[in-house]
This record gives sequence, C-alpha cells and structure tokens, in this order.
Amino acid sequence: MSAEGQVLAVSHSIAMVGLEPCAVRVECSLGPGLPGLRLVGLPDLALRESVERVRTAVKQQGLHWPGGQRTVVNLAPADLPKSGSGFDLPIAVAVLAATGQVPHEVLDRVWSVGELGLDGQLRAVPGVLPVAAGARHAGAGSLLVAPSAAPEAALVDGLTVVAVRDLREVVEVLRGRSCGTPARPAPVVVPQVGHDLADVRGQPVARRALEIAAAGRHHLLLAGPPGCGKTMLARRLHGLLPPLQVGAALEVAAIHSLAAQRRPDEALSLVPPLREPHHTVSVAGLVGGGSGIPRPGELSLAHHGLLLLDELLETPRVILDALRQPLERGEVVLTRARQQVRYPCEVLLVAATNPCPCGYLGSPTRACRCRPDRIERYRSRLSGPLLDRLDLHLEVSPIDREQLLGPPDGEPTATVAGRVVAARAAAAERWGEDAGNRDVEVARLRATAKPGALRTLAQAVEGLALSARAFDRALRVARTIADLGGRSAIDPADVEEALAYRLADLAVAP
Amino acid sequence: MNLAAALARAFGPVVADGSDPRAVAGVLAWLLPPRRTPVALRRRAAQVAERDGGRPAEVLAAVVGAPDPALGDTLVDLAHRWRTLGVRVAVVGDPAYPARLAAGWPLLDAPALLAWRGTLPAARPTVAVVGARRATGYGTGIAAWLAEAASGAGVSVVSGGALGVDAAAHAAALEGPGATTVVLGCGHGIVYPRPHARAGGLFDRIVEHGGALVSELLPWQPPIPAHVRARNRVVAGLADAVVVVEGGERSGSLLTAGVAVERGLPVLAVPGDVRAPGSSAPHRLLSEGAAPCTGPADLLAAVGGAPTGDALAPAGQVPVDDGGLPPEVRAVLVAAWPRPVPLELLARRSRQPTGLLLAAVTRARVCGVLAEGPDGLRLRRAPTPEVRARLDSTTPGENAGRHGDPSGMPEERG
Repeated sequence: MSAEGQVLAVSHSIAMVGLEPCAVRVECSLGPGLPGLRLVGLPDLALRESVERVRTAVKQQGLHWPGGQRTVVNLAPADLPKSGSGFDLPIAVAVLAATGQVPHEVLDRVWSVGELGLDGQLRAVPGVLPVAAGARHAGAGSLLVAPSAAPEAALVDGLTVVAVRDLREVVEVLRGRSCGTPARPAPVVVPQVGHDLADVRGQPVARRALEIAAAGRHHLLLAGPPGCGKTMLARRLHGLLPPLQVGAALEVAAIHSLAAQRRPDEALSLVPPLREPHHTVSVAGLVGGGSGIPRPGELSLAHHGLLLLDELLETPRVILDALRQPLERGEVVLTRARQQVRYPCEVLLVAATNPCPCGYLGSPTRACRCRPDRIERYRSRLSGPLLDRLDLHLEVSPIDREQLLGPPDGEPTATVAGRVVAARAAAAERWGEDAGNRDVEVARLRATAKPGALRTLAQAVEGLALSARAFDRALRVARTIADLGGRSAIDPADVEEALAYRLADLAVAP
Repeated sequence: MNLAAALARAFGPVVADGSDPRAVAGVLAWLLPPRRTPVALRRRAAQVAERDGGRPAEVLAAVVGAPDPALGDTLVDLAHRWRTLGVRVAVVGDPAYPARLAAGWPLLDAPALLAWRGTLPAARPTVAVVGARRATGYGTGIAAWLAEAASGAGVSVVSGGALGVDAAAHAAALEGPGATTVVLGCGHGIVYPRPHARAGGLFDRIVEHGGALVSELLPWQPPIPAHVRARNRVVAGLADAVVVVEGGERSGSLLTAGVAVERGLPVLAVPGDVRAPGSSAPHRLLSEGAAPCTGPADLLAAVGGAPTGDALAPAGQVPVDDGGLPPEVRAVLVAAWPRPVPLELLARRSRQPTGLLLAAVTRARVCGVLAEGPDGLRLRRAPTPEVRARLDSTTPGENAGRHGDPSGMPEERG
C-alpha cells in the first residue's frame, strides 16, 4: 500500500541457520508490469519451486490469485540463504494479504510455517520445534502450522500454536472467523529403564567404571574381544544417565527435528539420546554437513546423551581427528562459504575397540594370533589427542560359564542411578552449572584434593611412568569417585582407584 | 691426504679402551655394504687362521687389509654417528671385546666388530633367558622369576630385547644388582622394538642400571629377519648357560640353544603347558636332552658356583607380603602365580569392594609388588613357601582359587 499503485504486504516466518532461528520478513508487492511472480532473497531450489505450489494451491482453494499484475515476493534479510519448503505458507499469506483477502494488521502477531500441497493442504516440515522457539523469541504471538506439526510446535511455552488444515482455514483464522484447532503439546515421556545393570553378571570393575562414567560424564574406552559385552555395557551406561531436564529435552528434540529424525507428533522424550553410528560413517554423517545449510550429524544427535563408537581402531583417522575439537568444545562448528553453523554436541562418548587386530589378546578362551609388533602398531593408533579425551579405560573380558549360570549378583540400575544423581548434584554445587568434573580447570580441581592425594598421584605417575596428561585425567576421575563416595575432598585412595582405569601398557611386559 | 690420521682422529673417541682405531676402521671398511657380510668375513678369517694361525688381531688384519681411501668420508661419518649415540666399538680380540664371545673365533661364529651402549658385563657368570615374543603370562612370569633371582644372585642376564619373554627377563633383572645385556637385531639408532627403544623406555633404563645394548650392525641397518636371527648367536656367545622359556616350533630361541650346544654351554628348558603351542620349543629341547629348569636353583646351578639358598628366595628389599594388598587379594595372586589374574577375576575371587581393590592394586603396582600385562596382574616376586603355607592355613581354599585355574581357562574348571 504505497505510492504509484503499488500494494505491499508483509508476513513473517523463521529461517533456520543450523539450530539458530532467524526471523524472516516475507514481503509481497503487487503492481503494474508484466504479469507473473518473482521470488527474490536467496531462495534455494526447493524454495524457488514454491512459487508453483503456492499459485496452484491458492487457485485450488478457490481464492483469488493476482493474475494480471506483476507480483514480487522478497524474503528479507535478502542476503541470508534460505532453504526448504516451509516458506510456502508465509508466501501464500503475504500474497493473500496483498490482494486484500486477509487483513494486514494481524500478520505482525500471527506467524506461519509450512509446506503447501497443490490442493492447498498444509504439510509439516522438519524442524518445526526450533522454528516455533525462534518465532516466540522474535515476538510472534501465535504460529500457524500443519496439524501434524502442531504437537511439536506446542512444546514451546508462551506461543499459541494453531493447527490449520488448508489455505481456506488459514484465511478464516486470519479474518478472525475461526480460531483453528488450538494445538495441545506433545506428551512428555519419562524414561523407563530398558537395559538394567542387574543383567550384568560378574564384572564388578566394569560396573564401577560405568557408574563413574555416568556420574562424571567421563568419556569411556572399552577394550575387549568380540562378543565380550562391550555394547551391552554401553547400553547399561545409557540407562544410568539421569533423565533430561525439559529444556535440554527440547534442545535434543530441536536437533532431531531439524535432522528429520523425529516425527512431529512424537512425545517429548526425557530419555537421553543414544546414537550408535557404524564405524563406516562418513565425516559429514558424524559431525554434520551436507550441501546448502549443513545438517546435524551423529555427534549432535547424541547431544545430552551417549555416542557409542564401536570398532574405534577400524575407524579411519580422518574421522577420529574430526571428533576431537567438537568433543573438547561441546559444539560442532561447520563453516561454509556463506555461513557458519553451530550445533551443540555435549555428549558422553563411549568408544569400543578390540584389544588387538584379531581381537583375542588377553582372552582366556581363544589364543591371540597377532604378532606383538602388529599389536603395538594397532594400539599406537589409539594414542594421541583422542585417547587423552577418554578419561576411563576399561578392559572387558568375556564372562565365563560359571558366571553366566549363576544368579544376578549386582545392583540394579535404579540403585546405581541414585548415586549418580547425587554425585552430579554435588559436582554442580561445587563448580556451578557450566562445568563438570570432566572439563573444569585443573587448578580448581587440585584445590579440592587433599595434599596427600596429590602426593600419591605424583608418586604413581612417576612410579608407573605415566604422562602429565594422565595426571590430570586421574585427578578428574578421582574427583568423581570422591563425589560418588560423598567426600568433599579427594582422598589418596580415590586417586589410586582412578589410576586403575587405564589400559595395560604393552611396552613393559613384566 | 692423510687417511690414516683422519680415521684415527674420528675413531679415537669411539673405540673402546685398548682398541686400535685403525684396526676398527679397517674391519668396518671391509664390512661396509655393498661389499661383504660378517659371514663372509668369518669364513675368510677361518681360512686364514687355518693356514697361518695367529692371534685374532693378526688374522683380522690379514683378511681386511688397509681401508679403501674412497671410503674415508663414509667411515668418518659412521664414527660420528656412533659417537653421537654414545656407542663404543671394538673388534674381536680387543681387550674390551667380551672374552667369552671371542673364544674360539673364527672357528666359532662371533661378530668381528661389536658396538655397544652402556657397560658390557664384567667377567661374571651370565645366563641367557630367551623365548618367544608372543609369550603367555606364564612365560613372562617364569622369565621374570628366573631373571630376577639371577640378578639378585649377582648373575648377569642376557637376552634379545624383544617383546614378550626377552623383555620380561630384562626388566626383572633390573630389580637386582646383576646387570643385563640386550643384543639388538638392528643397528644402534634404530628405534626397535619401539616400546623398548623409545626415550625413557626399557633400553634406556637398562643402560642407566649399568647394563648394555649390544649390536654387531651398522647404525642404519634395520631389524630384518636375517639380522634378528644372527643376533641369537651373540646372545648364546655372551652367556654361560641358556634357558629357553617359551617358544613355538620355529622359535629363534632354538637357534640360540643350538649355538649354546656348539659352544658347549648348558642348555635348560622350562617345561610348559603341553597343550600350548608356545611350549613346543622347550619341550623339543627337553626331549633332545636339555636340562629341565624348574626354578632359579636349576639355572644358577648350571652356571656353577653361584650362590644359592638365600639368593633364591625373593630378594628382601621389597616387602614380600604386603604392598598394601589385602590378604584376600594376595591369596588369589599367590595361588595363581606365576600366571596373571585378570582384574575382573581378581575382584570377583577376592570379594573386595571394587573401589578399594582397585586402589590397592594401584598402590601395589606403584611400589613394585604387582606387575600388569595384557593378561592381567601378577605378583612380581615368587611367593616363598612360607607365604604359601601361611595363606593356606589362614584363608579358605576356595578364596585362594586353588581349585580352579585363576587364569580363567574354562575347560580347566569342569
């Protein structure tokens, strides 16, 4: 509605740059000129095709399409690359407003997202949860979405989510003649213990290591022959992780939604995610990537949960290297020519490996057929920066018949999980929210150790010829052991126990 | 150009006391690839010795002659390499060259030139403890037991420096006053086997402890199979007795034993598990007349005149029955000795709270009571009969794991 017969209407939506929502103004101008619709503002291919979908949908629904005029739709900010079919609905709304079929005024408050079918039906697009959160943050009062996406969008507090079936219903809602179907948020699922620790026979050391890993979020390395239960143990560790806070669960759901890894009507799960990518996963599959706006990878999909990497030593070096920085920072940064995308990846990593190329080194049931120098070379791949991030190393041996037939002999998950929660609470109280035993500065860590403990540690590092990094690592683990025992200061015995979670050094045989 | 003076200047600091730099340079020039091999050198020397007789130095001089002037720079460079590595060199017949090894040369095979780092063993009794790289916990345990007792009795231990049995023997020998000698299968300066040869590794500790790393090869020569096999004759040549702990059918330790027989040295073999492939070498030796070695006493008796009695008991300087280990844990380890016990099994058998057990294990490892390998944990020292007797009377048999094999072989349990 401006000079020279031009009509301008604006609707609002959200473009996602990774997990970051970005408010987008969809401007539509009608005016004299060659008839047709031109879409500007860095649309990608799927978005450019949106023009045809929108035109057909509007006509199919019996609404007026401005056929005789030149129509320009601009997506602002114009330099932000936009992708996907979620802009179908805001474009249609802008056109309908420009042609006077819906009022302009409400569009500041009522935002929209969704894909249109040629018949004018609305369809859900992946990632509606972060879009809804972004809309609320950018000042939207309500959000129009497809019915199937409504439960997910409604998980966002402080935003009225309206489920609309088709374009005609959109017009009714915007004219105030109908209020659509108010969406009810998806239900919240509280985790049930699936894999119980009580199923683990014998293996007291492994149980203890799992408890420590869960309590301190220490990355864990499991080494053992095939079939000794490494995956079984990793799943038990998953069961030990405390349920997510709703905020964290929303973050997880947002990432999964973006990667199209959850159905929009799925319940919000407080179960920490468990991801088990195969060792042939690509770098892009693991850390995220892809053309256009990079999508989250397995690392981010395991955010706030557990990432299990089996066959660590069969995994190509590039993949291991790609893991390092994200593990340290807790986020993946994917830099492309036009943009930089960040995805969080606060994961607990469990890496499993065979102890040697044939897998049977140290196995009581089968002889290892590897030459010692090959074992040495195999293991040397483990060394270096990635291994330094794995605080706990555990050798898993297969259990024997005697144990297999015996009665369950250990505590169930519920008991252990209780201690894990208490230990995490103690650590949170000491460090504050933004640090844990795994990543707090060493100086602060040292301050909580008894002098005797530091002396013991120094002696042990000297006596067992360990590296300086092993010193820090043992101190972190010792801190968690003390937390589990309810001790405010680290005892020498805590340090000594922490030092036991290391792989046997092959270098010195006796 | 005065080649002789240049060589004398370069080799002066490298050769051992009492060796002639020119003689060393001459032998070296002869040995330089691509000319001739140590085998060819010995064969020529044997011919010369048979024809003309004479002391080794004279024989050597007759064979090698004067160095080719064209090789001058290479020789000087070699001397520098050795010098930077802290290596000493001598040729057979020199006062610093081990007399045992030189005996019988050139009819008996020995390297014409020997390069070593550290201190060569003095003229005291020496045993060679040899065996497979792919050793079991039993093999490394026995090797460590024998070597430590020998070292405690002042007997030197020589071996091949490989992973497995050799390394167990070397490392255990460091616990006592006796020195230990490694015979390398490659030249000095090559990091092989990597875990031992890297800075601060087993080899460095051996040199610090008064032992030696010995090689007949030039600094760049790699551990190809021929070099590694040839090293076995030096191991036997430096010893007064050879004991084979574990080895497969084609084990290099059979070569060592063969050389020992040729030199008239006693050969012992440690009986092993008849089902284990690693027992075939010692069992074959036993069937061919080697003496069974059932403990340090047999070994020390074979080198003759070595002290027995007290020296055979685990050395007294490290407490035998604590290191902070709870008695239940100790009982399991004693019953299994010298086999290692996997950590999980130890935790289960000893019925200790896991945290306490792990702390105790670390403490015991730090003070040297326990050793850790890929197969599990093992007491470093042999438990004395008194310790065994005491444990038998105080702990229930089941706890001590005597009725089952604590190494966890399931088929042995039924």
